[in-house]
Amino acid sequence: MKNKSNAKTAETRKKRLLSLLEQQGINIYDHLDKGKFPQFVIPSRSVSNIVYDKKIRQYILGSASAVRSSRNMSQLRSYTQLAWLAFFVNRLVREGKSSTLRDIYYSSQAFSIDFEDQPESDNIIVDLEAVLTSPREEFHIFPEERSSVFGDLTIEYTVPGYEGKRMNLSDHPDGYLIGPSLSSAELVDTSAELVIAIEKGGLFTRFVEEKVHKKFKAIIVDTAGQAPRSTRNLLRRLNSEMGLPVVILADGDVYGEHIAMVIKSGSANAAHLRELTVPDAKWLGVWATDIEKYKLPTIPMTESDIKRIYDLQKDPRYQEGNWKKQLEVFLKLKRKAELEAFSKYGLTNITDKYLPAKLEESKSF
Amino acid sequence: MSKEVFSQISPSEFFYRNRDLAGFSNPTRSLYTSVREFVENALDACDQKKMLPDIHLSIKAVDPEKADPKHYILTVKDNGPGIDPEHIPLAFGTVLYGSKFGLKQARGMFGLGATMAILYGQITTNKPVTVKSCSDGKTIDEFVMLLDIQKNKPVIQKHTTKEGSKTGLAVSIVLEGDYSKAGSKIRDYVYQTSLITPYASITFEDPSGEKFHYARIVKDMPRPPTVIKPHPHGIDVETIRRMITDTHYQIPTIDNKMIDKVKKELSLKKNLSPKEILERAQKRWSDISRPVRTVVSVMSFLNIDFEGLKKIRIDDIDIANKTITYWDFGESTTHAVELDPESPYYKQLASTVQGDTLLTFLTKRFQRVGPTTAEKFCEFAKFKPDKRIGSMTNEELVKLADGLQKFEEFLAPDPSCLAPLGEEPLSKGIMKFFNPEFAAVWQRNASAYSGFPFVVEMGIAYGGDIPPNGLKVYRFANRIPLLYDEGSDVVLKIVNETEWSRYKIKGDPPLVIVSHICSTRIPYKTVGKENVADRPELERELKNALQYLARKLAVHMSRQGAADMAKKRANLYSKYVPLIAQFATELAGKKKEPNYNQLIRMGSEIEEQV
Repeated sequence: MKNKSNAKTAETRKKRLLSLLEQQGINIYDHLDKGKFPQFVIPSRSVSNIVYDKKIRQYILGSASAVRSSRNMSQLRSYTQLAWLAFFVNRLVREGKSSTLRDIYYSSQAFSIDFEDQPESDNIIVDLEAVLTSPREEFHIFPEERSSVFGDLTIEYTVPGYEGKRMNLSDHPDGYLIGPSLSSAELVDTSAELVIAIEKGGLFTRFVEEKVHKKFKAIIVDTAGQAPRSTRNLLRRLNSEMGLPVVILADGDVYGEHIAMVIKSGSANAAHLRELTVPDAKWLGVWATDIEKYKLPTIPMTESDIKRIYDLQKDPRYQEGNWKKQLEVFLKLKRKAELEAFSKYGLTNITDKYLPAKLEESKSF
Repeated sequence: MSKEVFSQISPSEFFYRNRDLAGFSNPTRSLYTSVREFVENALDACDQKKMLPDIHLSIKAVDPEKADPKHYILTVKDNGPGIDPEHIPLAFGTVLYGSKFGLKQARGMFGLGATMAILYGQITTNKPVTVKSCSDGKTIDEFVMLLDIQKNKPVIQKHTTKEGSKTGLAVSIVLEGDYSKAGSKIRDYVYQTSLITPYASITFEDPSGEKFHYARIVKDMPRPPTVIKPHPHGIDVETIRRMITDTHYQIPTIDNKMIDKVKKELSLKKNLSPKEILERAQKRWSDISRPVRTVVSVMSFLNIDFEGLKKIRIDDIDIANKTITYWDFGESTTHAVELDPESPYYKQLASTVQGDTLLTFLTKRFQRVGPTTAEKFCEFAKFKPDKRIGSMTNEELVKLADGLQKFEEFLAPDPSCLAPLGEEPLSKGIMKFFNPEFAAVWQRNASAYSGFPFVVEMGIAYGGDIPPNGLKVYRFANRIPLLYDEGSDVVLKIVNETEWSRYKIKGDPPLVIVSHICSTRIPYKTVGKENVADRPELERELKNALQYLARKLAVHMSRQGAADMAKKRANLYSKYVPLIAQFATELAGKKKEPNYNQLIRMGSEIEEQV
């Protein structure tokens, strides 16, 4: 049994955020009162300002920042949008309400804030993340896409109306959506010794059916493709708060490899954020070398698959070790295999043979 | 072996067989072309006589219930000079009879089109043309006639006269047409013609009875175009040959009419002896006409009086052998008389037979060629200046035409024959038609291509009543609108090559360009005369005109833009600052909103920073 190590972390983060928002509010208020133009300082998210930090093993923003000033007529509109979002997030957090990216876009209309489309409002949300260096999940803003979790993990809700209520995540075989309430819940207790993140919903169900959670004492997470931030944040907390190692199973192609990499060390898109990475996470497979080793049925790569390999070869994280080697083998094979490819040798082949073998192998890397 | 049969066809028959060339390819196009030809003839006639045109055009279906294509009655009436009743049957009943063969700026060419329309009407409906004309302000002549296509001559069915009070011409034909398809083009044509002819009043009554009336906008008529001599650069061998034939005077036929002319010019009341006649002629030599001089010269050599002249026929004047040969009817014999080169009359005869010297020919028959230029040219083309043009061989003519094309020291063609509309009428027309927020016009100086002078005038209009549907170009050539084949036209090319963003024009601007090219010969690309070819000289002039106008527009746009920007700033700050204050107040946890009025004022006043 492992107990959570960091008590009341959710509550602390909320207080920090509300204080930051208030500071921004006071700053703007004083500027207006004195007849000065208020402005936001936003760390620059341009490609030239995104660097890889080897020490903390993730992408971070450099020191460059941009000023969005209400003095500049062409920025006045987006300045107001950002001020509104800070105001709206303040209400969401204070009142313990949740919202989604799409909901933000529509809510703006009630305040005469005109976003042209949802991408524009999504961008303003990222701006606020950068200004406050907090992920949008802390603003109670969630994406529509959801992934799921299953396994012996007890949580305690902090959302209004459920405060203090506990729940075990192995009670429902379809798994539990990683939504706002789960993301804000405290992690209380688990008997698991491992977290298996898997790319696909179909195999997630298979793993539950095959009782992988029992056989391997594991919590299973369905990342539903590239893992959403709330999922990455949960993986990180399972790793850091509950001390569980995280392993990743994804398709045997360049995208699968990168899904593992993003869980491990973050994405360029979220370089302005921390707390979303699991630096010690391990990529179990499917490796390019596994394709040959396990004689998996394959399909040819497309042009864009190959282009993606060349792109990743420029990424500093792919410059050495197994990450580099697997890219090279993929490029040589020019073929790829899905996780489902193991079905060729029986539906349970992946859980009976492949998974144990890879877990054993992973101890050495 | 089969035997080919060659036969000559009349011009009417030629056009009948090739009517596509002249724009009569189908009922839609034919109806439109017919309207154009009659309206343009009417306007040309009024221009020529400096009469303010008043044109009535009407199109009526013979049987409105029928579906298109069907028979229409097309009538065009004007208040012009009318046509002398003597000429009407030929003018409207034969192909290639016209008064437009000279070199001048005119809407139509050769007067072909009107007859073609009549011909087309006749072929499709078998109905005659009706022409009503009043040229003296007293009598109206009405002709109803058909065209005999094979013989190329009119067949008059009816000719009546009645009293009238005003001059003018009305032509009415029945033809097969498709108004449902041609209607929009015809309405465009009438609209655009009114724009480029602001001194005309034009009324169009369509088949449904709807009337489109365009009132006269200006009362001053532009100067009418004049006929001019050709420029050497615009000449080919065939043209030279024709010019020489009519310079090279023939020995006049000596009949009673000729003798009367001689007597009249010399004021001879009674019969004088040959010697006395010569003395009289000597005194008045500079006042008497060329044929009379020739007759007098002949009389001097043959030493005969008028009675004698009547009995002979001059057969040959051989300058090389210095003899004159004649046939005597009384004696039925041929006589030869030697010419004395010392005689003052020798030169007269010689130049009559051989024509002018090249030097004289060049200076007399071409525009802007003086004796100095002519002499330089002779040296350049390796001709003797005193070479008689009547004695030139074919090879020499080719060499002459070639030289005229290549000699670069001729002055540019004389543009005085051109009659552009003028900046003021053009500007007034644009203001009246588009009621724009901004307009500018410019008339370029005359220029020339291949010996043909031309003038470009252009107008630009922006905003106001112009709908923001993007750039619209109105193309005109010699005061007629060009509606078809827009894509390949040189004006469109220039407009499309212009980078409008440089002139602060973006998106689908409410912008109109009016381009008018005047020339003695518009370089049309096709026989249909709807699009102008991209001659470099023309392209350059159009480009200069457009750039000049676009710069003026850009100045207007900047001024307008600065004013708009200040207004926009004020609006933006009034809208957003109160919102920011509202959000900040709640964020900061305050009750009272900050005093932000100062900031709104400041925001509105800041200069735009780029």
